[in-house]
Amino acid sequence: MFSELSRVALLGGILALDRSAGLNLMIGQPLVGACLAGALLNPGPQWELWALRIPLGVGVLLQLLLTDPSLPAAQRPRDTATAGVIGASVAILCLERLHPYLPLTTGGILWVLVGTIAGLLASVAGGWMEAPLRARNQLSASRGEELLLEGRLAAFEALYWRGVARLFLRGATWSAAATVAGVAAAAVILPPAAQLVTGPRAGLIFAVLLGVAYGAGYHTHVRTPRHGLRWAAMGAIALLLILLHRHGASS
Amino acid sequence: MIGPEPTSAPSPEAARGLRGIDLARVASRSFYIQALFSAERQQGSGFAFALLPVIRRLYSGAAERGRALARNMGFFGTHPVLAGYVLGLTARLEERRARGAPIDDAQIEQAKRSLASPLAALGDPLFWVTLRPLAGLAGILGMALLPLGDSIGPDLRVLVCPLLSLLTYNAVALRFRIVAVPRGYASADEPGKLLRSLRLAELKRFFERVSAFAFGSLAVLTLWPMTESADPAGLGPAHTASVLAPFALGWIGAAVGLRRWPGRNVELALAAALVALILSTRV
Repeated sequence: MFSELSRVALLGGILALDRSAGLNLMIGQPLVGACLAGALLNPGPQWELWALRIPLGVGVLLQLLLTDPSLPAAQRPRDTATAGVIGASVAILCLERLHPYLPLTTGGILWVLVGTIAGLLASVAGGWMEAPLRARNQLSASRGEELLLEGRLAAFEALYWRGVARLFLRGATWSAAATVAGVAAAAVILPPAAQLVTGPRAGLIFAVLLGVAYGAGYHTHVRTPRHGLRWAAMGAIALLLILLHRHGASS
Repeated sequence: MIGPEPTSAPSPEAARGLRGIDLARVASRSFYIQALFSAERQQGSGFAFALLPVIRRLYSGAAERGRALARNMGFFGTHPVLAGYVLGLTARLEERRARGAPIDDAQIEQAKRSLASPLAALGDPLFWVTLRPLAGLAGILGMALLPLGDSIGPDLRVLVCPLLSLLTYNAVALRFRIVAVPRGYASADEPGKLLRSLRLAELKRFFERVSAFAFGSLAVLTLWPMTESADPAGLGPAHTASVLAPFALGWIGAAVGLRRWPGRNVELALAAALVALILSTRV
């Protein structure tokens, strides 16, 4: 578990830097984070069928659910960078440890659900932790100005790099801690409820959550832009024509 | 033009101009511009940190360098991808000032704000509201479009989908970041012309349409397999309706809920999962 958590922490730290330090290279997006976590935590060939599809499922759901089309100042504080890593890590680690207690015919759907819910909760809790970090940054900025007025440029630079390191460490510790908490919570809740956890139930919840994700996607990509509905209809019709053409050709 | 190039010969100490490598260093540091983000100064500390190679080049004494950086450490807020244009412009003005041009603090501050505010106003809707969601959608579309391959082998989509996202976003954003500082430096006297040449509003409109078009395609790609799912009991349309109903209810619920409570995606998703769990135990 230590080796896996160190990988989760490293990835979480890098993604937190991407989101908060200003890199903004898109690696802090839930889909990317979840897929990278899935690739890093691959539990081996015995889980090959689902091990990589679970992070993809978690990443897709979280990407749609955590995309807010508001301007940043109007958004609720959500830590979307580490949410994907935490969600995918919880799902993969639970798959490995808890699957023998919950042998479902629908296999990975349950773990996609567990990972998605863990990611959603982690995004909210991670967002709460931004406020103390901002307060700390304010103190550092004031100290930085004092150092500059004293002519101590090297000390100012060191102070700034410490701020960068703080972002990394915060992302790393939060990712590892939330993953442990998520796996522990799942281990406490799921095995005693094994009788209740059935394939059709997991499938129903998955379908509803997928619908909510697409509803959120509709809000972001179609409702918010001008003439969005017109362009979405054109995209749907174009693809429908292609699919019907292929369907006709194959039959 | 703010502070024309000085006509009198500068002193040997102040004659050092900025080199390409100094601007490249500023550009590389601009990737960390938000590390000490705070409500009071926003990216002010990061702006000073990014400008440090320029100030080191232009001034010699520690006290002089410190003062030059401190005056650039006040409130500063713009879009992080586009901050390089303001850094380039400021570098040019600081260079002229160091060489003896009559430029005061207020003029530099005024020039910074005149570029930073419109860049924020145009950059946020382009990058945060339009391009970033589109890049995420490109990755999801990759999952729907790429063949599954061997059903028991490794699923390569786990690498291809994030790669598609990264490429979609960075093909646009990284280009801006790389050219921003030199272009801001070169266009310091014509910030209005620089702003117009970026065509940010046009780009936003274009990506909005691509994004909506892609979402329409994704919806069809998702719904098509659902209508063709196995029907062992031979129920026909009733089977299709039962497969689509939970998905459609979730979609409609979220679309209505987000209109009423914008930004509450997480709460709506958790509430929907809870309702579905309760319903599933009763059906």
